[in-house]
Amino acid sequence: MSLRGEAAIIGIGELPTQRSTPGRSMLGLLGDAARIAIKDAHIRKEDVDGIVTEGGATYPASVAEYLGIRDVRFGTGSSMMGASGATGIAIASMAVMNGLANNVLVLMGVARNPALGGGGEGFGGPGGEFEMPYGTAAGANTGYAMIYKKHMDQYGTTQEQLAHVASNQRFNALENENSAFKGQAISHQDVLDSRYVNYPLRLLECVMPCGGAAAAIVTTAERAKASLTNPVYVLGVGTALDDFGAYPKPEFTTSPVARSAPVAYAMSGYTPRDIQFAEFYDCYTILEAMCLEDAGIAPKGEIGPFFAATDTTYKGTFPINTDGGQLSSGQPGLAGGFRHVIEGARQIMGKAGVRQVARKDLCLVNG
Amino acid sequence: MTSEYKKPLPRPAMNPEVSKPFWEGTKKHELWMQYCLNHNGHFFYPREVCPICWAPQDRLVWQKVSGKGRVFSYTTVFQPAIPAFAEEAPYIHALIEVDEGARIIGNVIDIPQEDVAANKLEVNQRVEAVFEDVTDEWTLVKWKPIGEG
Amino acid sequence: MTSEYKKPLPRPTINPEVSQPFWEGTKKHELWLQYCLNHNGHFFYPREVCPVCLAPQERLVWQQVPAKGRVHSYTTVYQPALPAFAEEAPFIHALIELDAGARIVGNVVGLSREEVEGNALELNQPVEAVFEDVTDEWTLVKWQRVDG
Repeated sequence: MSLRGEAAIIGIGELPTQRSTPGRSMLGLLGDAARIAIKDAHIRKEDVDGIVTEGGATYPASVAEYLGIRDVRFGTGSSMMGASGATGIAIASMAVMNGLANNVLVLMGVARNPALGGGGEGFGGPGGEFEMPYGTAAGANTGYAMIYKKHMDQYGTTQEQLAHVASNQRFNALENENSAFKGQAISHQDVLDSRYVNYPLRLLECVMPCGGAAAAIVTTAERAKASLTNPVYVLGVGTALDDFGAYPKPEFTTSPVARSAPVAYAMSGYTPRDIQFAEFYDCYTILEAMCLEDAGIAPKGEIGPFFAATDTTYKGTFPINTDGGQLSSGQPGLAGGFRHVIEGARQIMGKAGVRQVARKDLCLVNG
Repeated sequence: MTSEYKKPLPRPAMNPEVSKPFWEGTKKHELWMQYCLNHNGHFFYPREVCPICWAPQDRLVWQKVSGKGRVFSYTTVFQPAIPAFAEEAPYIHALIEVDEGARIIGNVIDIPQEDVAANKLEVNQRVEAVFEDVTDEWTLVKWKPIGEG
Repeated sequence: MTSEYKKPLPRPTINPEVSQPFWEGTKKHELWLQYCLNHNGHFFYPREVCPVCLAPQERLVWQQVPAKGRVHSYTTVYQPALPAFAEEAPFIHALIELDAGARIVGNVVGLSREEVEGNALELNQPVEAVFEDVTDEWTLVKWQRVDG
């Protein structure tokens, strides 16, 4: 038994991603996203009987309380950092197919409100002792830059090739109402001309921290068929994780997707060749590129030439991050990784408007 | 060796007792790492359990290692997260694979500033540890390029 | 009204801007609650969305409500978590159901020590708000018994 075809997303809600969210809190933003999602799903708040949150800063019970969600039968945190949203969908799917709940609300988000302080707190772990004394760059820049450099050395990947990731996604974001960069075009050369934050990462290859939130409703296949929406069926799921820090792990230029993708493919009965478009986690160009090759979209080590040769805009032969992704929309905390699920569902529902992809039935998402 | 050192000093957040031999080693200008008697290999960073075979603490010993290795990968930091590093940017923040097999973070120094800015450092460059007594309490390990062999 | 107040003051952690009208109200010795124009009801604590119907912020207004209600439940605290409360223990920490329909936490004051220790306070006891200016900045809402 697997969850192939057993669960579906029937509603999505996403707030515009904003550089700052003055006056707003995380809980408040989550509420706004939840409201949009239940409306989209044509269900009532009272129909929600399950909730999946990130689980660290947002206990399911705190969120349920703030949002007045009663009679929650199933609640948990997915606690997978950037992958919390996608993992939340997997968890919700398992919950509904096994009868733990009927309508599970998955929601992620963060506020960016100077009045509330916040942001920039380090994680526990070895970083403060063994990395920070040597002058790390901001956020996760340092580790991903070193992965980038290693990938260049190992496979001949070039910055020129990966700049296409950023410029193609910016094209996709130009008419996205929910993008912080709506209408702000950049060229491939602009990416290459942008300053180094830390070599080989240039400014336009890194995400911009933002505020925002997103939500989705997952229900059983049976309920989905009876619903008034165009359901998005979950056909295969795989999860995997790696060391928190980049540096101890042996397979430095390989992501956990090398382990999660085969599981999802096997469950679904599809192969990389069948995938029509992809929505992939993209805090940095290199991370997205590496995960795509680990998912078999290009042979290992050949993602650079793939980007140089492929139109990955929504008009292209293999669309990737059709809403601009995080690189060209902004990263509202964990709603950043969740946006890949939301946009994939939006495309399959046929609600992507001007950026609707031509072949919209089978999407591969990496959170 | 000054009390005016403005950059972050090591903050042992996980378990100061476990990592202490490492920092005692650097004060003597020596590189020490944990060695697992179970699977017979070194690892880094210091832990209470072997990350390779989950051997318990009583199977882990500290050994002085060669202090030589290669640049596994690196990034040139043009925009440091902390202002205290700004005046020496760009500089190299590298992942070093020591000859004993473990990986450790550090700066690669002793490279002309124009080579740093031009990202001339090669992956696999041979390096050896140099020790910088940044305060009376703390000595950091950095790395400098050396010839093959 | 002393700067030596040792007990914890309100720390608006969710969103100070949203809860501000509540505390401005207490300073005027008035009880203000959010009212949802969508489902037509009050709620507490202050939020950016209605916890009953998820109506958005622009459908939520602030209203002064009668500072009256009933004791929904209570506990008599003999061993406070914080030492600053120790000298006045035992005291009553209660959940008040307001006539306006929402619930709010507060102390019920004005009982004799014997009444407190004898658990003389009855559930459903009608109460009204008393406002205590604990510092120049903060006024807390407490409750005292009134005749039904």
